[in-house]
Amino acid sequence: MSGGVYGGDEVGALVFDIGSYTVRAGYAGEDCPKADFPTVIGVTLDREDGSAPMETDGEKPKQSGTAYYIDTNQLRVPREQMEVMSPLKNGMSTSLMFEHYNIPAFFLCKTAVLSSFANGRSTGLVLDSGATHTTAIPVHDGYVLQQCIVKSPLAGDFMSMQCRELFQDLSVEIVPPYIIASKDPVREGSPASWKKKEKLPQVTRSWHNYMCNTVIQDFQASVLQVSDSPYDEQVAAQMPTVHYELPNGYNCDFGAERLKIPEGLFDPSNAKGLSGNTMLGVGHVVTTSVGMCDIDIRPGLYGSVIVTGGNTLIQGFTDRLNRELSQKTPPSMRLKLIANNTTVERRFSAWIGGSILASLGTFQQMWISKQEYEEGGKQCVDRKCP
Amino acid sequence: MATGADVRDILELAGAENDTGPISKKDIINSDKKKSKKSTETLTFKRPEGMHREVYALLYSDKKDAPPLLPSDTTQGYRTVKAKLGCKRVRPWKWMPFTNPARKDGAIFHHWRRAAEEGKDYPFARFNKTVQVPVYSEQEYQQHLHDDGWTKAETDHLFDLCKRFDLRFVVIHDRYDHQQYRKRSVEDLKERYYNICGKLAKVRAATGSEPKVYIFDAGHEKRRKEQLERLFNRTPEQVAEEEYLVQELRKIETRKKEREKKAQDLQKLITAADTTTEMRRAERKATKKKLPQKRETEKPAVPETAGIKFPDFKSAGVTLRSQRMKLPSSVGQKKIKAIEQILTEQGVDLNPIDLVLVYELKQAHANCEYEQQMLQHRYEALLKASGASVPQSEATGLEGQAWPGVEEIKTEAKEQIIDVVGAPLTPNSVRHINTVTFTHAHPLISQSILPLVI
Repeated sequence: MSGGVYGGDEVGALVFDIGSYTVRAGYAGEDCPKADFPTVIGVTLDREDGSAPMETDGEKPKQSGTAYYIDTNQLRVPREQMEVMSPLKNGMSTSLMFEHYNIPAFFLCKTAVLSSFANGRSTGLVLDSGATHTTAIPVHDGYVLQQCIVKSPLAGDFMSMQCRELFQDLSVEIVPPYIIASKDPVREGSPASWKKKEKLPQVTRSWHNYMCNTVIQDFQASVLQVSDSPYDEQVAAQMPTVHYELPNGYNCDFGAERLKIPEGLFDPSNAKGLSGNTMLGVGHVVTTSVGMCDIDIRPGLYGSVIVTGGNTLIQGFTDRLNRELSQKTPPSMRLKLIANNTTVERRFSAWIGGSILASLGTFQQMWISKQEYEEGGKQCVDRKCP
Repeated sequence: MATGADVRDILELAGAENDTGPISKKDIINSDKKKSKKSTETLTFKRPEGMHREVYALLYSDKKDAPPLLPSDTTQGYRTVKAKLGCKRVRPWKWMPFTNPARKDGAIFHHWRRAAEEGKDYPFARFNKTVQVPVYSEQEYQQHLHDDGWTKAETDHLFDLCKRFDLRFVVIHDRYDHQQYRKRSVEDLKERYYNICGKLAKVRAATGSEPKVYIFDAGHEKRRKEQLERLFNRTPEQVAEEEYLVQELRKIETRKKEREKKAQDLQKLITAADTTTEMRRAERKATKKKLPQKRETEKPAVPETAGIKFPDFKSAGVTLRSQRMKLPSSVGQKKIKAIEQILTEQGVDLNPIDLVLVYELKQAHANCEYEQQMLQHRYEALLKASGASVPQSEATGLEGQAWPGVEEIKTEAKEQIIDVVGAPLTPNSVRHINTVTFTHAHPLISQSILPLVI
């Protein structure tokens, strides 16, 4: 609602947040995206359908028997002329937007800036732990300090890999649900007994892998926990176990493994499958990033450490991070961790920030209009977008 | 839910309120128009002086109402105000195009606005404020702003960034093209910018006026940042060490203060002793020459810096001199006992001031002796701990030397006192008395001092 009361002005903008795991899209001014779907596209074998617009991240096209596309009709865009906004770290193809889709105005913004706006701050250190990597990005006064960004590949996908190895060690087969026709209840720990579906289509390797990944990700989300202190065998043995059942019927209690696997995020030295000790734990990532910044702004950064990203929703992540940071910072420094408790806010904080930004009255002067693009070319995007 | 206004609108009745003007905040929240008129009518009468407030209230009250029979309506004052929505007709909204004066290209966007506000300016355009970054011409640069460390291209780049980022130097430093130009620190950039600003201000200012120039001290900023860096990078051990040192310093200072205080007290006693003895001497000499009546007048002139203060009796007429010797009640029990003991041993009836002085001097002396012993023991313990061996005699000699003055003065004072006191006695007995009094007093004093010291 406009009217000058809250500084809002609705022009009917769209906000896109294209991540490596999911794409979030919706209308500006709303508090959560209307569409949230995985960043994968399916292409059928015999007819090469036109690739949907969001494949610029270079996701490998998956071959499958049945074709899956991205469901863009969910947006239900009634008007033809619509402004489009998309928060991306790397440059999105501006020319694609203007020329192919004929949009009237366009704006790009970095995800870190939008995450901090969504939490009500213009200065802070954004710790984004998503699927592919964990990054610490310092934001000062609404601008990202590009030279102080620290990236680490230990994130959601790393966790999935470790879980997969765990199941391999337990010699348990991961069976995705589409294969299973029926299953029988079995005792804990004993091998599963299930019946395979008949008349399954010939699925490709990549699609099968994708389905198995969803099973593992479900396990990862529900079972894993980060311990409060650095991993200790005795302490882990005393932790309460969690019962989990795989789709094929195999069920087991997981105790020490629950804590051991996410420990790799914070302390990569004893994680399996990592070469050498060159990886940084999450605490180190944050302190390194702040250490590279100008010393005058460091208290401001430590005073608002914003935690976003789906991977941070693992139980105990924020507590452990808080503990590690308070150990590493000097005692005079005021440390404040901002972590929204709801799943929606943490996963979609960049999108929410974009929604807020696009509906502000004072933002309407910052759009890059078609006319400006025609006059200035791509350089104007670099100049105008922070 | 249809309100009265809506129904009237549908049926197109001419409503009671024809106020179809723009709704203000007052209409929605707490629109009680009747209240405003009442305040002008009430008159207040001043109560006459001397009349009590309550009496006046009984006779004349502000409101002139009868006392209330029904409970009053408290909804006006203490209730949280509720918004009265739906009190006027609906104002339609329209999807209309608009241009934002803050934009340079004049792009036309659309948004929802009230139909009544069509044609008005875009309200958010006034928030478009920018920082004033000075722009210099080529000529000005060649004449005034030339600098060896900075090329024109680099300076232009810097000013371009300043304009883009509104003088946020941290961000400017981050986005600075370090590959193309040299690696510059934040202070370098600031220094160059403020230098140019200052020079331009001076050059462009009208002749005769002194422009206000902001001086930037890059050296100071660098040092300050280095200091901050070191402060942040302190290890916890260093912090703990610093705190420990600060505490030690505080302890040392308190001990020093205590010592000084004791020395001062001691000094006071000594001066008191000195003055009394001097007065005594003066008195003695005076008595030889003058009449004994003069003694009375000179006695009260003795400065009472130490010892017991005796109240002066201001009674007219005849008084007994023995009354003046009565000890005031502020003297402690122990002192009284000590005094009595000394008196009985002396077998002499004296002016108690001197005795008290003696007693206090003895106390101070014993204090110092005790402290000396303590420090000596501690010193030896430290020496033993460090492995060095120092002969005993040296240590005692050293410390014995530290208090020569005091002891000399004390013995001197005592002798003088005893001299004065024991005028009829022989010199031998003087010494005897000296030691006897000391040894007798000592256990008493030491018993009393030890709890004090501890």
